[in-house]
Amino acid sequence: MANANTSVSADTVAALAEPEERFTPKRFKAARDFFAHKPLGVFGLAIIVVLGLFALFGQYIAPYGPETRFSIAPQATAPAGNTNVDDVSCNTPDCTAKAHGSAALDFSNRGPSSAHWFGTDEGARDTFTRVIRGARRSLGVGLGSLLIGTFMGVVLGGLSAYVGGKFDTATQRVMDALQAFPPLLFLLLLTAVGQPSITIITIGIGIVATPQISRIARSTVLQVRALPFVEAAQVIGAPDRRILVSHILPNIWAPVIVIFTIGVGAGILAEAALSFLGVAPVGVSWGFMTFKGTQFIKQAPGEAIFAGAAISLAVLGFNIVGDALRDVLDPRLRAR
Amino acid sequence: MQRYIIRRLLLAIPVVWLVVTMVFFVSHVRPSRAEQLAATCQLSKDICARNKAAIQKQLGEDKPLIVQYVRYVGNLLIGDLGKSLTAPYNPVRTELGNRAGPSIELGLLQIILATIIAIPVGVMAAVRQDSWVDYVLRILSIGLLAIPTFFLAPLLLLFTIKVFNWTPQLNQTAYRSLFQNPGRNLSIMLLPTLAGAFASSAAIMRLLRSQMLEVTRQDFVRTATAKGLRQSVVVMRHTLKNAMIPVITIIGLLTAGLIGGNVVLESIFNIPGIGLYLVTELQLNDLPVVLGVVVAVAVVIVLTNILVDVAYAWFDPRIRYS
Repeated sequence: MANANTSVSADTVAALAEPEERFTPKRFKAARDFFAHKPLGVFGLAIIVVLGLFALFGQYIAPYGPETRFSIAPQATAPAGNTNVDDVSCNTPDCTAKAHGSAALDFSNRGPSSAHWFGTDEGARDTFTRVIRGARRSLGVGLGSLLIGTFMGVVLGGLSAYVGGKFDTATQRVMDALQAFPPLLFLLLLTAVGQPSITIITIGIGIVATPQISRIARSTVLQVRALPFVEAAQVIGAPDRRILVSHILPNIWAPVIVIFTIGVGAGILAEAALSFLGVAPVGVSWGFMTFKGTQFIKQAPGEAIFAGAAISLAVLGFNIVGDALRDVLDPRLRAR
Repeated sequence: MQRYIIRRLLLAIPVVWLVVTMVFFVSHVRPSRAEQLAATCQLSKDICARNKAAIQKQLGEDKPLIVQYVRYVGNLLIGDLGKSLTAPYNPVRTELGNRAGPSIELGLLQIILATIIAIPVGVMAAVRQDSWVDYVLRILSIGLLAIPTFFLAPLLLLFTIKVFNWTPQLNQTAYRSLFQNPGRNLSIMLLPTLAGAFASSAAIMRLLRSQMLEVTRQDFVRTATAKGLRQSVVVMRHTLKNAMIPVITIIGLLTAGLIGGNVVLESIFNIPGIGLYLVTELQLNDLPVVLGVVVAVAVVIVLTNILVDVAYAWFDPRIRYS
């Protein structure tokens, strides 16, 4: 009896609470669901936020300069003979090989120490610093390329669904052709054309991402266009532009934002692969660090491991946020 | 069915044509071989100009771009992919034929291993939905999807060094084909196979799991359980068999992608496949080779897509094509 009583009262409470729920805007409900029911998604979001801070404020967070080369004077180790050289640290960016001349003891390929948490690379630079500073390039290219790809995909996919006919067929064939390239092959071809720059790589990854996004935008617009409220808008004589912008666009953003989030992860992977293969411009980049570290992996595995782990973490972050968003925003797409 | 296949093949023609056209014009934005040589020419202006003209004539670059394009497409139609610009100046088609073996072998090994791992794991995750086994396997698979192969490969290399004190032979001359020296071939293929298989197996496992759960909710599975069949029979014969149909699609697509997309692994492990060929010639600025490889791989992928769609109908008689 007691059970029945409590359940009834719980139902009553729920019923009383319902009218209030109705006024909560949909997007706030999605955000609440995300934080309340998706611990893994929140974890992914935390990774993205931390890496985002690194990307924005890396120069203030990192302990050293990204190109600072470390060394110690030979006399520092001479007396004790077996002194652990890692303890003798350079605490100022000026403490470089230049200050001590060419006789300075090489500080390259060291393991982790209190002064260099992730060790140093083959050029005696601090790996921890370079991992932090590498976030800017990875996140920048990943986000930038997917913004381009999403814009093109939504415009092309949306228009081809709305306009239909020959335009639709032509767009779909071009997308088919783009999808016939393995992404990396297409990007290698692009970088082979002239001087590969960050801009070209970003645009290239955006182009690679376009077909999939346009497919999703197209199918969603086809669904939404068949709904009564679009018909109603057409009946009262609303112009195409207004139907597209204020009736259709707001209803397709859920699947688009999911594919965008997961796409950023893929974009980061693509940039890292290009940097690893040495076709991206030089700079502080996780992919290139993984490549350099691999050359010295027997003597000093630190650089390859930490740079590779940074790539994996970033991709993981965007993937699990994307998965969680899909569950929250668009239950129809849910991968059960 | 026959009509469907023919129609799909006809529809593929404009796609392949678009691929060729895009690749051709994109790759001709860069300065040509003759212009590059002329830029580094040390001789007198007159001789340099004459040299340039001679090379351009030899490569057919003295004609306008549109003529070059028509000639290129014409050559493609008779199966001529052009000639390499670097020694030993082999035709691209011959070179592709020689290098297809290692790439196909690596791709197939990866996909076979990935499938062998993914099927039991995917079935287990689906049968024990929402248990800790499911969660661990799902987190593991999403983690594996995030690790780039070019990071996994060095990690595996490091692991074999530290634990077994063993590394495969990585120098360029070490490679032997499966028929020449099976032992050495497989020892070289082992690590790239593992590195490539994990990510693919994670993708297959995730799809298989969701498909299994979808099928489990259908009436015929409930009927099978209700009439008292053992769970293993229901899972294997009723659920898995029906869940495999979309999984076969993704396996097909992954295979095509793997054969053309093992660029990174082939260059790390010095496997003389198509990917290594592409990267090497890319650095040497060898345009015909880059063009040829990209076109050939794209055609293979378009054909695989058609093959997968046809296989769909064969596996699932409910699908009707008109």
